[in-house]
Amino acid sequence: MIRSITREARFLARDRGALFWLALAFLLSIVAVSFGIAEVREQRETIATLIEEDAADRANALAGHEDWGSAAYYAFHLTYAPPSQFAFAALGQRDSKSWKHRVRMLALEGQINEADTRNADFGLVGRFDFAFLAASVAPLLLILLLYDLRASERMMRRHDLLVATAGSKGSLWLPRALVRVAALALLLLLPLWLGAFVEGAGFGMTLQASAIVIGSLLIWWLIIELVGRIDASPSVLLTSLVGVWLALAIVIPAISKASIEAANPVPDGGEILLLQRETVNDAWDLPKVATMEPFVERHPEYGDHAEIGEMGFEWKWYYAFQQAGDQAAEPLVQQYRAARLQRDQDAALASLLSPPSLVERSFERLADTDTLSMIAYEDSVRAYHGELRAFYYPLMFPEEPFDRELLEALPAYSPKR
Amino acid sequence: MTAPLEARELSLIREGNTVLDGVSFTVAAGEIFALLGGNGAGKSSTLLTFLGFLEPSGGQVLVNGISVDSDITTVRDAIAYLPEATSLYGHLNAYENLDYFLDLAGKSAGRVAIDAALDRVALPQEARTRRLQSYSKGMRQKTAIALALLRETPILLLDEPTSGLDPVAIDEFHDLVKALAEGGQTVLMVTHDVYGACQVADRVGLLRHGKLVGSFAAENGKRIDTETVHAAFAERETA
Repeated sequence: MIRSITREARFLARDRGALFWLALAFLLSIVAVSFGIAEVREQRETIATLIEEDAADRANALAGHEDWGSAAYYAFHLTYAPPSQFAFAALGQRDSKSWKHRVRMLALEGQINEADTRNADFGLVGRFDFAFLAASVAPLLLILLLYDLRASERMMRRHDLLVATAGSKGSLWLPRALVRVAALALLLLLPLWLGAFVEGAGFGMTLQASAIVIGSLLIWWLIIELVGRIDASPSVLLTSLVGVWLALAIVIPAISKASIEAANPVPDGGEILLLQRETVNDAWDLPKVATMEPFVERHPEYGDHAEIGEMGFEWKWYYAFQQAGDQAAEPLVQQYRAARLQRDQDAALASLLSPPSLVERSFERLADTDTLSMIAYEDSVRAYHGELRAFYYPLMFPEEPFDRELLEALPAYSPKR
Repeated sequence: MTAPLEARELSLIREGNTVLDGVSFTVAAGEIFALLGGNGAGKSSTLLTFLGFLEPSGGQVLVNGISVDSDITTVRDAIAYLPEATSLYGHLNAYENLDYFLDLAGKSAGRVAIDAALDRVALPQEARTRRLQSYSKGMRQKTAIALALLRETPILLLDEPTSGLDPVAIDEFHDLVKALAEGGQTVLMVTHDVYGACQVADRVGLLRHGKLVGSFAAENGKRIDTETVHAAFAERETA
């Protein structure tokens, strides 16, 4: 077998057509990994800059105020999900979901769902990262490398001579295809391995990613083998294989997405934002008691401090109706979260019908850029916001005297909560 | 003694058409047997059954006493096959082609042995490092014959081997085939070239519509009489 592989490797080295596709694969892999590394580095730099400015901004904001309510109102707190060491390979949901916020003690859900404006170009075509290359482009390259292995030899009337000389089909076609699959896998993976080393991704993770790429190529090799058994011309085989690729990479995912979205309607972030803001805004016109009662139901520990005069402004009342906004949006938020999780579960099942989708999902899971990771980040922001409330409420509601030194104990956000 | 090549009541039906109908012959070691026939007579199909590319509908084909369907790898190891209109790899030169195909056959040969084989088939020295896409049909055929020589198999199957060669090259090829047979190699060639078959073969079989309808053998050290075979061939083709 080693002799056959060496022979076919030498043969491949003289096949300009195959070398072109392999070189293209290598180039695309370098580009995808470079783009990915540049993007995560930019995200890390953004986070580093924000962290640096966050403390200074907050110190500035807190310096000019002498009561808890004002301090809480004007101070911003940075939350963020730093890209994982493997995120360069699969940017995933980081392109469409916010991975950084500057939250205040105000109603939270609106702040979470008030997303940054997306880049319309990326929204249209998606980002060219390694996961996309491995999932969707690599199969096409493999098709181009393998589709006419037998058919072209038949067309050139060389097939019988080759097989008669080789003795058995297995000693010819298997090593010839294996060398091409292995060369493609190696050229795709080399830049990934280098990127993983540069980014400090763990060996186990890199190994898993490599296994995903190789597994995907093996599945596509099997598909190409099955289609290649049709006794047809190279052009017919190529057309058939591109058709299979279109079905598996485009049509099935598109139909699955449409079906899953129809089966699991999800309120969008804007609806949550609107409901929460309407509740908050309406509170200005309602009797203050209408705000404080549901607040005390949620926080009975402040029942003794919830009496607010109907005239004038009090921070306690202000923060209570901010919380009322979140409470009003809670069912919608839960529905949004549950439906996203359900869609994700359904998409996981549907991806079993589409190797490209399965590869992308597997990469996003490895890179912590999937739906679960983004929901986990949002949950961490909620948890942190809860800590802020737990810090301010015991000072604000009993109307403790303002003490700047206590602000030293303000909770700090740390990712991976 | 086991004949290197034997067809026993060989029949072949493809897509409802009878291609071979009860063909029987043997080819002895060191013998050159030419199957003559017009287009569609079943000549190439006969060769392909010996290589295991076509499965007989009836009868048996044996190579060195081994049934082709029982051990195809051993059978093919014993055979060098020269198809009609040989197309080796155009992007490789003669050395690279021979290296590749020899390796495919599980053999290797040094540059000296390859040059010796190419000398035997009279492929010009200057052409050997050129890609085959610049070769004439005759030069490509010579390279393929060199491959058959280098494989040193006991059996040669030749499908219209002189098709497209110039008269000088045809004579050289016939001399080469005769030399190989004298060295003990068994040759089964199929052709529609009556003159060539009579020049080179020890025996000529006439194949018509899948049936072996006549046989002529060289006797007393003389070649087979071309006129006789031609007359039989023409008569049967027009019958």
